[in-house]
Amino acid sequence: MLVAIWEWVGSNPANPVTQVLPPPSRFLPVLFESDFKIGLGSQSTSIHHSIFVTLLRVFSGMTIAFIGSLLCGMLISLSKWSELFILPILGLIAPIAPIAWVPLALVVFGISNLTAIFIVFMGVFFTLTIATVAEIKRIPENLLITAQNLGGNELNRWRMVILPSILPGVFTLLRLNFIAAWMAVLAAEMTGLRDGLGAVVMTGRNLFNSDLILLGICIIGITGFAMDRLLLLIQQKFFWWRV
Amino acid sequence: MNQVSSTVLSCQNLYKSFPGDRKRETIVLSDVNLDITQGSFVTILGQSGGGKSTLLKLMGGFLSPSSGQILLHGQALKGTTPEIGMVFQDQNLYPWMNVEQNIGFGFRVRGDKPVTYRHLVRDLIDHVGLSHAGKLYPHQLSGGMKQRVAIARSIAVKPDVLLLDEPFSALDVQLRRRLQDFLRTIWQETSTTIVLVTHNVEEAILLGQKLIVVGDRPGQIIEEISSFAPEFRDRYHPKFLELQRYLESVLERNSTINNNEQYQEKMIPSLQK
Repeated sequence: MLVAIWEWVGSNPANPVTQVLPPPSRFLPVLFESDFKIGLGSQSTSIHHSIFVTLLRVFSGMTIAFIGSLLCGMLISLSKWSELFILPILGLIAPIAPIAWVPLALVVFGISNLTAIFIVFMGVFFTLTIATVAEIKRIPENLLITAQNLGGNELNRWRMVILPSILPGVFTLLRLNFIAAWMAVLAAEMTGLRDGLGAVVMTGRNLFNSDLILLGICIIGITGFAMDRLLLLIQQKFFWWRV
Repeated sequence: MNQVSSTVLSCQNLYKSFPGDRKRETIVLSDVNLDITQGSFVTILGQSGGGKSTLLKLMGGFLSPSSGQILLHGQALKGTTPEIGMVFQDQNLYPWMNVEQNIGFGFRVRGDKPVTYRHLVRDLIDHVGLSHAGKLYPHQLSGGMKQRVAIARSIAVKPDVLLLDEPFSALDVQLRRRLQDFLRTIWQETSTTIVLVTHNVEEAILLGQKLIVVGDRPGQIIEEISSFAPEFRDRYHPKFLELQRYLESVLERNSTINNNEQYQEKMIPSLQK
């Protein structure tokens, strides 16, 4: 319906909006005309490669943040003192928008994949660590008592009761944070990386090509939506329980 | 002498208090002395909030007494031990594990290899009548099935004593009666010592060989009835109903328990038939 309205509004070349917001029938053919390549000469890169590297960056950052936050959250929960001193620091860093880390990441890592991965990591890690500590706190005490009563040692209780108890909650938050991570990686890619979906939009801007900008935006939206569905599927398949 | 040697769990001069308002201590249990013999079925009856669950948690090593001690096989109990199993009202099944995995959890968490306990778990699943449900998860089970899994999980590791904290109180009457029969069968077949806490007088009489009545706070033993006769297995028997009425009145007026000596004298010989 939305596409139909967009197409109808954009079908009038006299409409000034059409210049900024070309209809799908105008920018989609760009894909085929350019043989799925974006950019000029040796600097051109294929669309599927751009999608792949963006996904690789976002999933690398999210995976490292997910595993790191589970480990850190569990370590923090081991001691009341670390909860008392480390949690407020995490609470202070968590609200910082991922994009604010871009200048620092550029100084430390330069223009590289690491910059994008670092920004995704920073956007997700602190929130997930705080969530991990909160999830550990809300595990019903009787689940832990039962494991202890059955003779489980400390390590096995963490491995077999605490970790499975917190995984669904933390993964749900990871999924919700995917949107933030997705935006963060695009911002990072707009800082000068040669490839990735953010770079596609930036190429469109540099060439004053609104068709390319719109094409990039559409791919970003569709890929982001598809990834969110994939994460939902993983959540339903592997982390379906609630304690 | 025999009586002493067969005592598996013993509570001696047990006191338990918790910090209350304005630095005052709330005494929950006071001077509890209780011996539980090997293979017996003991029911602890009391009103809600009267301290009977606290007593059970002390007996399981989940709480430490403020004073007094608990002996397991003559040794002071220090914390929880797999020798004492516990089943709670909310079954505490692990939702990410199916029935088989939940029942075998006691072996797994202790680091046993699956090959050493798989057949035991399978036998136990058959024994508790859940052979068709081995692969089901807790959210797919009824309340009664969940409770059977929780009991099976506890007895799988062969505890010397099984403590049950109002395990059937959330279930409807029909299901509760079926599970009472199930628990009795389990007790007869495994000879596990069972201590069951309940506020249901009928349940306490039906199941227990020895019935302990815990009075209101501070909780203390106000009645102890042993050697239940076969008539107390029949909930419609006149003697059963008579005892039920008596215990209900004891619970309502536990401060007047001493005034019932005349009744006790009449009742106890009939129990020892």
